[in-house]
Amino acid sequence: MTKKKSIFTQEVIVGIVLIALYFLFRTISADFGKYTTFLSMMDISYYYVFMAIGVAFPLITGGVDLSIGTGMICYALAGGFMIRQYGWPTGLAILLSILFGVAIGALNGVLISLMGLPPFLATLCTCMITRGLGSVVTGSFAVPWPTAKQPNGWFHSIFKITMADKTKLPLGLLWVILLMLVMQFVLAHTKFGRYTIAIGSNKEAAMLSGINVKFYHVMVYVVSGLFAGLASIAYGAVIKTVQPGTGAGMELDAIGGAIVGGVSASGGYGTIYGTVIGAYVIIFLKQGLPYIGFNANMQQIITGLVLIGAVAIDIVKRKVIK
Amino acid sequence: MGEVILTMKGIDKSFPGVHALDHVDLELRRGEVHALMGENGAGKSTLMKVLTGIYTKDSGTITFEGKEVEFHNTHEAQEAGIVIVHQELNMVGDLTVAQNIFIGREFKKGIMIDDKKMIAESKKLFDELHIDIDPRAKMSDLTVGKQQMCEIAKAISHKAKVIIFDEPSAALTEKEIEDLFVIIRDLRAQNLGIIYISHRMDEIKVITDRVTVMRDGGYVGTLITAECTKEDIINMMVGRVIYEDPKTHSMVPDDAPVVLKVEHLNAGKMVQDVSFELRKGEILGFSGLMGAGRTETARALFGADPKTGGDIYINGEKVTINSPEDAVKHGIGYLSEDRKRYGIVVQKTITENSTMATMEKFTSGLFINKAEEKKVAEQYIKELATKTPSADELVVNLSGGNQQKVVIAKWLVRNCDILIFDEPTRGIDVGAKNEIYKLMNRLASEGKSIIMISSEMTEILRMSDRIVVMCEGKKTGEIRIEEATQEAIMNKATRDIQ
Amino acid sequence: MEKIKQNPIVKKLGFNRIILFCILILLYVAFSVAIPGFAGMARIMSILNYVYFLGFLALGVTFVIATGGIDFSIGPVMFCCALMAGYSLNTYKVPVIAAILMSIVIGFCFGVFNGWLVSFVGVPPFIVSMASMNIAKGLGSVFTKTQSVSWPQVNDPDGRGWFRSLVKVGDVPTGLIIFAVFVVILFIVMNNTKPGRYILSLGSNKEAVRLSGVNVRKWQMLAYVICGTLVGIAAIFFVSAYTTVQPGLGDTYNNEAIASCVMGGTSMAGGLASIGGTVIGVFVISLLQEGIMALRMTKEVQMIITGLIVIVFVYADVSARRRKN
Repeated sequence: MTKKKSIFTQEVIVGIVLIALYFLFRTISADFGKYTTFLSMMDISYYYVFMAIGVAFPLITGGVDLSIGTGMICYALAGGFMIRQYGWPTGLAILLSILFGVAIGALNGVLISLMGLPPFLATLCTCMITRGLGSVVTGSFAVPWPTAKQPNGWFHSIFKITMADKTKLPLGLLWVILLMLVMQFVLAHTKFGRYTIAIGSNKEAAMLSGINVKFYHVMVYVVSGLFAGLASIAYGAVIKTVQPGTGAGMELDAIGGAIVGGVSASGGYGTIYGTVIGAYVIIFLKQGLPYIGFNANMQQIITGLVLIGAVAIDIVKRKVIK
Repeated sequence: MGEVILTMKGIDKSFPGVHALDHVDLELRRGEVHALMGENGAGKSTLMKVLTGIYTKDSGTITFEGKEVEFHNTHEAQEAGIVIVHQELNMVGDLTVAQNIFIGREFKKGIMIDDKKMIAESKKLFDELHIDIDPRAKMSDLTVGKQQMCEIAKAISHKAKVIIFDEPSAALTEKEIEDLFVIIRDLRAQNLGIIYISHRMDEIKVITDRVTVMRDGGYVGTLITAECTKEDIINMMVGRVIYEDPKTHSMVPDDAPVVLKVEHLNAGKMVQDVSFELRKGEILGFSGLMGAGRTETARALFGADPKTGGDIYINGEKVTINSPEDAVKHGIGYLSEDRKRYGIVVQKTITENSTMATMEKFTSGLFINKAEEKKVAEQYIKELATKTPSADELVVNLSGGNQQKVVIAKWLVRNCDILIFDEPTRGIDVGAKNEIYKLMNRLASEGKSIIMISSEMTEILRMSDRIVVMCEGKKTGEIRIEEATQEAIMNKATRDIQ
Repeated sequence: MEKIKQNPIVKKLGFNRIILFCILILLYVAFSVAIPGFAGMARIMSILNYVYFLGFLALGVTFVIATGGIDFSIGPVMFCCALMAGYSLNTYKVPVIAAILMSIVIGFCFGVFNGWLVSFVGVPPFIVSMASMNIAKGLGSVFTKTQSVSWPQVNDPDGRGWFRSLVKVGDVPTGLIIFAVFVVILFIVMNNTKPGRYILSLGSNKEAVRLSGVNVRKWQMLAYVICGTLVGIAAIFFVSAYTTVQPGLGDTYNNEAIASCVMGGTSMAGGLASIGGTVIGVFVISLLQEGIMALRMTKEVQMIITGLIVIVFVYADVSARRRKN
């Protein structure tokens, strides 16, 4: 009765693609192989990967969260602004950024789960609202987070530490792996994860099983917001100066990563490790293309096509199985 | 039968514009299988939804184990020991069998879900019920029958005191129904109260102890099953005696030409090598149990689903039908069993629905001739006696029978020669039913050819000139009306199973 | 109240649209009172500039929403059209008319691409929108080498600014006339032609329409193609009014276009669309934009307001549908 599962799941294939891509870029460009390139690529990757891990949850419920990109910028602006303007300690500002993310996530959840708005529409609106809020709060001025050398710049070492012999280590990678494992565990082995899948697969059935679907559906977006909040810290640490009005389009790279990594766009299936691998494929493309002589903006086009390709393959696969 | 476990008294429930339940009573005892009967829309499902907390009642009392109760959601009802096995399967396809059975009340080890224990418990449940299902299998990989068994196992695992079966047999094979009855008898022996909703009269007689009948949202009465006849129950359901005399002989002359010939039609598991002929002016009945592949055959023939093989001849000429568009071009019309989903566009007017398949007749260039279109729609409203204030009325505001007439009008406007009626009277009240029957007879006498799929034996025997019987995707017999009896049809419909 | 609603004239025009129109007038009066010098021709011309391009975007997306789909790539696609055509105009010196056609053709191609993916491949519309948005931004940037593009001025000596008379000749708002013509045509397409009938019907119940023997995929795709083409036209009106376009932008207009539609009574669930309502919605959004600018607030404030408008109107539609069921 049970079908034999192929070991070549989408996650494995995308993993192979990721490795192939890395070596392809290395072969073509010597610069790409340098440690500094690797470091800067890792720097950029953290906030994309955090967003991708978060948005995997709404995607698995068959929804989407388009507010994470502009949201992340908005939270980073808010946190940085408090440090600059009111001299808040960094720890408090970080907390504020994360809580801001949670709050917007909860708002998304309420709009979608309780008020019944289509997810893409509700989050498209909060995308615009967060983008506007960020600018309004800061008076449309760019906000710099403290640099690593400044007294309250300790938070940089969360993501990158300099060893005694001056080599830098991408500590953030450790956090990526840790969060990946934690969230994979949450998805596969906790009630929240199981109900996330159930909502995406058959919401009605989940409801009739006595699950408080509305609550869990809100929580899914809270998680997405929480991770956008975490991403904002990584963004503040890596990009340093946060510009209001930016962030649009970043959500697409994160969502693209999740879908490339095997999360079903129609809901019901997905893994967090696949999401992370998929996100790195997008980041490699984003960062690697200029090294092999392409315009960096080609990445946008390629991401768009890859996104559609991944979804189309998923659709065709389902049709064939039927 | 033991003491009373559940009493519902004077239950009243209104929705905007509808008085869905009008002071309904129901009494259930321990160790009893209690049938709840009534036509579609009689209020059975609403009553059960009130009981399990999906709807809140407007007035009335529910007494469970001697205490007055009111549940606010299915969860609370489950906790108290009242569970429902739903008519539509409520399974999460992407989760495993065990995960589905324990969804909403997972065993936990710390914050982790204990999947191992769930699998073991599921195995135990299945062993008790003598069902062979792998708890680790993905739900969407199981057959419909097995999914239903999982649903029952899930209900039982709730330590239920009252189990409601909402048309459980609709998707099951004869063998699976027998298994189900064994389980139900077992549950009855364990002193559970069981409410059994079904439309199948023979099942009611076999399995239930008492029967409560509802009509139009109201309570009609409760009888002891062993002491009443089928006719008694039907009379209570419809409120009047119906005369459904079978057709005695075919209305089709022997030399009537063959308009449609289907040879070796194949489409997946549900349609295997089906061949038949349809003659001018004939009503060809398609009989069989649920899941016999009749609708699938019709859909494949109509091009609604892809087919894997087979030839279709219309008036002797071979034709290619790969989409509904092709089928309509060749003069075939299809009236789906699920009107709301496949037949009508509810948010559009009668006029718009009537001309849906015939747009080119009403367009010059790109423009729609709205006056002409309305004239034709009105003509068919008159002809089919559709009850509506005007042709501009939205179809959503019509009753089931009148919606069906709009679908018929759609194909008559198109002037289709071959009409496929899939469960033409499902969800339609008795009066409107007779009108639909008369209409079908008239169409046949005017030279249209009709394929009628029906699960109601009386309907098949009353309407058909010839009967094709299907079972598990295969055609198992063809019976002339002169030789047709319920037994003969049933025999062929279950042939493969026995 | 009920009596007014049942009045045949009110019914014909649509109660909600009449209310929206009143809101439009009140809003204009309110701005005029609150802001000195707001009333007057100059402001109206400025509002109209916004109405044109937003109007074409909103009319286009009305067709897509009527099918029950969505397209929020329209803003970036409009910029992509304006960038690629404008760049060709400046760098390759193609004739103005060719650049205009090019803009429309690019929009058309995006429509074909989106429509094909949604109706023939079955990719969910929001995924297609996201991908198209990315592709449009990328194309615009790559093609122009990430430079902003300015279209010729009215008084350019080589006479290449003639296309601006599409919007305004002296003080005559020619754009309004063109826009009005399009509104009438699109109104007829939506309500009195076969494509319109099929688009609305399939938005309400696609499977029932397919089983009536209609090639639903073709008509569903057509809605996206109409939308794309109108987006290409919108690009021309955008540059006629605002001259310069920058790569990587344009997504703020998605929400404004969608807001115009939902305010006008087009349902996100599909099957119900009002061209007239969308037009009034466009005027409201354009007026808001002008008013907010006149109050010396930023574009960002408007984004927040537009976001809230969409939420409120979609929620109203969703809860009205819930009540009915």
